[in-house]
Amino acid sequence: MTLRLASFGMRGYVGDSLNPRDVMDYAAAFGTFTDGGRILLARDTRYSSPMLHAAVASSLISCGCEVLDMGICPTPMLQFSVQPYGASGGVSITGGHHGMGWNSLSLIGADGAFLEPVGGETVLDIFHAGDFLRKRSDNIGSVTEISGFDERYFETLATHIDAKAIKNANLTVMIDPLGGAGCPYITTFARQLGFNLIGVNDQPSGYLPREAEPRPRSALQMASFIRHVKGQVGFVLSSDMGRMSMVSESGEPTSEEYTFAIIADYVLSRSPGVVVTNSCTTRTIDDVVRRHNSRLVKTPVGQAYIVSALEDELGVLGGEGSGSAMLPAFNRGFDGFLMMGLVLEAMVVGGKPLSELLNALPRYHIIKRSVACGSRQGYGAIEHLKERLYEFGDVDGFDMTDGLRINWNDGWVHARASHTEQIVRVISESESRELAEKRVEMMLRLIGSVI
Amino acid sequence: MSNGESINIKETLKVAVSGVRGVVGVSFTPQLAASFAQAFGTFVGVGPVVIGRDTRPTGLMIEQAVVAGLQSVGCTPILAGIAPTPTLLMLVPSLGARGGIAITASHNPGDWNALKFIGANGLFISESRAQELFDVYHQQDFPLVEETLIKKVRFEKYPTENHFKRILSYINPQAVKRRKLKVAIDCGNGVGALYSPIFLDAMLGCDIYPIFDTPSGRFEREPEPLPQHLGRLSQVVQENRCDIGFAQDPDGDRLAVVDDKGRPIGEDLTLALAVWQVLDKHERGTVCINVPTSKAVDVVAARYGCQVVRTRIGEINVAEAMLKNDAVVGGENIGGIMISKIHPCRDSFSGMAVILEMLAMRDQSVSEIIGSLPSFSIYRGKVAIRPELAPIIIRHIRHTHEPAKINMLDGLFVDLGKHSWVHIRRSNTESVMRITAEAESRESAKAIVDSYTKLTAEIIENNR
Repeated sequence: MTLRLASFGMRGYVGDSLNPRDVMDYAAAFGTFTDGGRILLARDTRYSSPMLHAAVASSLISCGCEVLDMGICPTPMLQFSVQPYGASGGVSITGGHHGMGWNSLSLIGADGAFLEPVGGETVLDIFHAGDFLRKRSDNIGSVTEISGFDERYFETLATHIDAKAIKNANLTVMIDPLGGAGCPYITTFARQLGFNLIGVNDQPSGYLPREAEPRPRSALQMASFIRHVKGQVGFVLSSDMGRMSMVSESGEPTSEEYTFAIIADYVLSRSPGVVVTNSCTTRTIDDVVRRHNSRLVKTPVGQAYIVSALEDELGVLGGEGSGSAMLPAFNRGFDGFLMMGLVLEAMVVGGKPLSELLNALPRYHIIKRSVACGSRQGYGAIEHLKERLYEFGDVDGFDMTDGLRINWNDGWVHARASHTEQIVRVISESESRELAEKRVEMMLRLIGSVI
Repeated sequence: MSNGESINIKETLKVAVSGVRGVVGVSFTPQLAASFAQAFGTFVGVGPVVIGRDTRPTGLMIEQAVVAGLQSVGCTPILAGIAPTPTLLMLVPSLGARGGIAITASHNPGDWNALKFIGANGLFISESRAQELFDVYHQQDFPLVEETLIKKVRFEKYPTENHFKRILSYINPQAVKRRKLKVAIDCGNGVGALYSPIFLDAMLGCDIYPIFDTPSGRFEREPEPLPQHLGRLSQVVQENRCDIGFAQDPDGDRLAVVDDKGRPIGEDLTLALAVWQVLDKHERGTVCINVPTSKAVDVVAARYGCQVVRTRIGEINVAEAMLKNDAVVGGENIGGIMISKIHPCRDSFSGMAVILEMLAMRDQSVSEIIGSLPSFSIYRGKVAIRPELAPIIIRHIRHTHEPAKINMLDGLFVDLGKHSWVHIRRSNTESVMRITAEAESRESAKAIVDSYTKLTAEIIENNR
């Protein structure tokens, strides 16, 4: 049981749950939902992505959709392009931050954001009913390969970051796009911002040379030689360019939690406003937002929730502790290129190397763990936990925005059933490592006893 | 073609030995194509599988679905793009592929499409193998491969190269080139539009007059090259004083001929001409034809002392009979010309080549050549019946004839002497018995059909 269907996408294990036949039905449901509209289609470089691309294209054509094929293209670039191309939506085929063998379809709405829940549920209803729009020969759709979308994207991106300042600094930057969808575009990006690029894992390939999830452990390759190549910063990305972690000039692989923190600190210094994050992101964010006298809004975990809260609260910046950020004024999606640009700008404008920017942040000890379980067990476990809160002793508050978060003055621990994997994720953050360890162990023990 | 509102029973999916056919958007969907491709990949095993299509607008959509289906079970799709069905049949063994899928509804209307399954030997899969394939399909339990075992798509850039090379090494292209024949070619907006003008002009040195030669798949004439659909071709032949006119069906397996006077000669005589040239100038041996083919072929074969074997209707049945009987040439009465040494499959290109060679070598016109054959006429009739009466009718009529004159391979075929026969079979598409007869004149053929129609009516009456 590896298939996961959410309102904004379908994810599964190739050769097991991700059967092209189901993928085609899901794509047909989306094509039906858009009433055979214009759809942008992009994929990453995973071995199974061309197959899914063929399946999705075929299915969308059968619904009468006008498919604009972007080929290998990162999800955020597709999200950005939906509105300029006047499309009804988009489908991005990507393994994202998942390991070998996984792949997914992300559905993008007409506004460029992950399909909002109401629309997504309609897609699921159509999928389950199997009642698809089916055009006859004279009215089927078409596929057209498009190009030039990257130029438009980078031109607009350059207006949201201080490209000139970055250019003048003549930086040397390492980028590891995981052999994924970002590969064809990082040289253009480097030219646009005028830095010297040292690419790592920068040839498009379905083979994953490291862990797919950007985090310190997956940054070890880069960390081992950044000093030798005199790199001033290193960026480690997921296959879809949606998540990012960083390596400092001294070779420190930083927690992906600080990607958003560094960006928030800089963006708020430039233009204060409402910030949106999820309920299990580092409290560094709380501190940073408070420091800039801004307001922080918390949502359940997931890009779709962040976008929707940004709209509701007129937020200027959104992001998650998993290593993602978006500026809704630029793009309604987590965007690796934007994140890299903002971090570079923060370094250049502040005149400080990344290590110093990191040191200037209030930093906590954060520990992330997970417990394998069936999906029903996972949600059930969280329910049971709520009945046993007394076991945590004196606490300073609870937050049930998504799963269960327990707050203390000196830290928090959060448990939630993953939407995309058969696990319960536990995150614990405290001022001391021992305390964080203690609380994560306690939570894991409790989950173990209720499963 | 019916309107999109009401779903006509005739538009339902047809799953048969000849493939999986349906109306796109009604009964034939990409999902179905992907599933059948998965079943086919499972059935032939991991390895290369050739995929080609005709010019229908839905071809690319179905091709993409087939690609995904094949990749999911570990096969390597080899895309031939828009290519004639005979080309695909030949490609499969020449590329050492496990099999092939031709995406074509052949002569069916433009809003149909279909998958036709090709075995590793380059022939359509036989009935028993097709049953096996459908069992795999109905089981819906395909061995999906994990991501690292998914194979990349390969492309066959020049799919007809091998096909045309075989034809040109079979005939004498120099003889054809020297004559600079004036040829009108009606590609029917099918695959021929991409290949026939080049084949006739560059390879056979003909002076060509192409019509319906955009590969749009939007058929400007009826897709089946029946005599009544060849008006435009006849006109072009007459206006330009062409030596001959050819017409192809959308996937390029069937051929029709218009003579130098602009008259369609009929599909039976088209076949007879090709058989004649093969036996006369190339090789002598057994001829295999499907049951209701004109005796013109028998007359031609008799001139060279060659045996004729009648087989069940359907390309694979004729092909298998050809292999079994070591036949040199054969075909079907729908203008399907099959030459063993080129490839035992219906091929309009082989047909055009040998017929042009015949004109070049004989220095005679098409009408003169045909004029030297006795005249034949085929008359077709039908009687409405309740389908369950069909076996009773056939059994009854069968017993009124000597066993030696009977062929029961496909319905009931009765040899009625020198130049005539009658063929009675139940239609696969309507609740009727089809009664077809051949004789030396239209009147006598009609008389035969009338007498069997009367006999059938009596049997129906007695079984009321």
